[in-house]
Amino acid sequence: MVIETNLILGYPDTLSVAAGERIRFHLSTEVGAVDARIVRLRCADADASGPGLRYRGVASAIDGRHDCPDQRLRAGSCAIVDDGGGLAPRGAFSVGCFAWPTRPTAAPQTLMSRWCGASGIGWSLEITRDGGLRLTVGDGARRVTIEAGAALETRAWYWFSASLDLEGGRAAIHQIRLADHYRPDAEVTAAGDLAGLDGIDSGGPLVIAGRAAELAPLWFEGHFDGRIEAPRMLARWAGAGELSALAVPDRSAVADPDLLAFWDFADGIDTLRVTDRSPWRHDGRLHQMPTRAVTGRRWSGRYHDWRLAPQEYAAIHFHTDDLADCGWDPVLTLDVPADWRSGLYALRLQPADRAVAPGEEPVAESFVMFFVTPAKGRAMAPLVVVAAAATYVAYANSALRLYHVHFERLTEAVLQLTMDDKYLLEHPELAQSTYDSHVDGSGRAYSSWRRPILNMRPRANPFNLVTDTHFLDWLEEKGIDYDMITDIELDREGVRALAPYRAAVTLSHPEYYSEAMMQALLSWQNQGGRHLCLGANGFYWRCGFHPQAPHVLEVRRGISGTRTWESAPGEVHLAGTGEPGSLWRHSGFAPQKLVGAGFAAMVYDRPGWFLRMPDGRDPRAAFIVEGIAEGERIGDFGVRIGGAVGIEIDRYDLDLGTPRHALLVATSEGLGPGSLPSPEEFRTTVHGLDGEQNALVRADMVFFETAGGGAVFTTGSISYVLSLSCNGYDNNVSRLTENVLRRFLDPEPFAMPA
Amino acid sequence: MDHTSDPTAARWPVDPDRLDLVQEFRHRIRGPHSPDLQKLIARLRWGPIAGRYVVLTLETGRRWMLARQRAERGEKLELFENHVFTSLEDAEWEVFKRRWEEATGRRLKEDGTAW
Repeated sequence: MVIETNLILGYPDTLSVAAGERIRFHLSTEVGAVDARIVRLRCADADASGPGLRYRGVASAIDGRHDCPDQRLRAGSCAIVDDGGGLAPRGAFSVGCFAWPTRPTAAPQTLMSRWCGASGIGWSLEITRDGGLRLTVGDGARRVTIEAGAALETRAWYWFSASLDLEGGRAAIHQIRLADHYRPDAEVTAAGDLAGLDGIDSGGPLVIAGRAAELAPLWFEGHFDGRIEAPRMLARWAGAGELSALAVPDRSAVADPDLLAFWDFADGIDTLRVTDRSPWRHDGRLHQMPTRAVTGRRWSGRYHDWRLAPQEYAAIHFHTDDLADCGWDPVLTLDVPADWRSGLYALRLQPADRAVAPGEEPVAESFVMFFVTPAKGRAMAPLVVVAAAATYVAYANSALRLYHVHFERLTEAVLQLTMDDKYLLEHPELAQSTYDSHVDGSGRAYSSWRRPILNMRPRANPFNLVTDTHFLDWLEEKGIDYDMITDIELDREGVRALAPYRAAVTLSHPEYYSEAMMQALLSWQNQGGRHLCLGANGFYWRCGFHPQAPHVLEVRRGISGTRTWESAPGEVHLAGTGEPGSLWRHSGFAPQKLVGAGFAAMVYDRPGWFLRMPDGRDPRAAFIVEGIAEGERIGDFGVRIGGAVGIEIDRYDLDLGTPRHALLVATSEGLGPGSLPSPEEFRTTVHGLDGEQNALVRADMVFFETAGGGAVFTTGSISYVLSLSCNGYDNNVSRLTENVLRRFLDPEPFAMPA
Repeated sequence: MDHTSDPTAARWPVDPDRLDLVQEFRHRIRGPHSPDLQKLIARLRWGPIAGRYVVLTLETGRRWMLARQRAERGEKLELFENHVFTSLEDAEWEVFKRRWEEATGRRLKEDGTAW
């Protein structure tokens, strides 16, 4: 039977909450009422070949039936200027901007407007694919539209403007495709008659890259795909030449007395504000996070860091499918009891009229995941599991399977879509992941957790969180007590988040790490912490949560690396923090420096296993391989994948920073032609780069001690944790993991070799 | 456009007379496959998202329905409700037959021989 997983959707206000603190759930459904339960999860992987979906109910104050509204989800970014009537001049006025349309459509997309759709009052400067620029003016009774009648090119810079004179009963519009590297300017103008129109003050805000559909509640439509630069407004009739020639007013100069606004997007690139450089200061705010730190029409190529030449980055890239915050009303609020065990929890939701008893197969069931961290200052266990929350957000609503041409060839099988995939395909307004592209083809630089995330739930496509729970399942099976935090705590609290613990485990794929997260782990390891790193392709992308939108992760994909889109030239630096995005390897902090091994290859065909290496005989490594013979295949089994070496794998490399004293305890064997290196691993193409012929395509188990009595052990493979439960948890991957963990929990300091 | 994003990037001439490759696939859907069959399958699997055949999982590991993606984001998945499979190999074969016909203009019988 198919379980309906998307009848009720929701998201928490925070992904992790400390015991004793509050979390709010923003929910929406068409069914009217929901049955809510809190559960603590042990395994979120429903695959019948593994432990299966395992959770238990935890009695809470919000258990039971609740009315739940059906809340709207509207994607599309814009800038909103609440002008208080200051941008509704009585006489003639002109508006204009530079723009770079990326997906003009038959339906109009709005550049600038001061319009109310409900009343039909105001003006709206728009484009359409085939007609080019058009101006719509309405007084509620009558509407006039003037169109340039010249089709638009995609990804070309234009000047667009309009002048309106209600008293004179006239309007004119100007569309100029700007000269590029082989063509001169191309101008089209059109004029229209506004006679009889009376009163076009919408009463609402001026909006850039959208128009108000209604003013109360305020919401927007007619969004724009593309870049807008230097929008301005002048309180007189002005031609395109005069209006486009206006520049950011100098501090020492007297501004044009008719200048009502000049929004300079080069100002505050790391903010969610837009600055009006006119004396009137009609500053605005960004809605749904369009992308900043993108090149404008004046980008010279001399600078690749927007902080060095902000005027070359004076554009904002708006998208019709941007989504940073659904903005749903909270429906349930949970005060997490201070005595709850730390761990992975979920709000389990069923339609109230179809809720089933525990143990029965549900008809419809949804989960909203969250992590309960220990009460502040009250770490409960010597072991902490660090969930890769930043990575879960980076992959949130990944639509790789749905929109990538190469995906079926990559998996070498007809694509199997789940009901979640179908829902995501049919509801693009949920917004996809940082692996996906916007509808206009530009890469998604932002991903937010304030929206329903379909692939961060039990029964989701098994990757990241679902895979990671195999280790929680193993800990529960072994009766090993643990606390749980996320890497967001590392980002916000630094090493303080790790300080109470003797040992920490990072899971199958902690790929996205901010600078604060990297430094927290490094510092803690050097202070004596023991880091058991059970995955691969970790600590790979340099990324950041946006300082002014802490629920939004920003990623830029440049230079090299395995990536499904590539940042445009000059756009590798993050807008939020200014730091260079791309791989940590390109910032001189390859994963090998932190954990001894770093990304080597992807495994598309058969998995492999580990074999002990000569370093495994070193007395320093004896505790790791105790009970495992030389020549014994470690992990030639595993749930779903079939082997402990699979999916993505990491290797030891002294040049990239593996510590000199690190031991190569074991390495992989058995990989085939479907194991292929990541692009940053080779400098030219050559035959034989695959795992059958290339010795650098491998997974390495690495161990090293740190000066402060700490230690690091890395397994170098994403599929490693999928082997833990095989044969009733009695296997050599389980044994080796327990060997390391027991020693890591022993207070006896590790000694770094001389 | 980069090589893994361009729907026209695959190059391998599909020879409508190579029914031997069809037979090889029919009898060994999961492989291993001969070099020519590998290239044929890779060619058939490459193309635009619009119109791409997929299967929708009805019951994990048990039942799948043939489906086809459409051109625009947000459009409903096209479902073939009379094509429900209890084996993924059957689904692979159905998709192969359809793609072969699109590539060669020739229909295949269920046993992989030509009409």
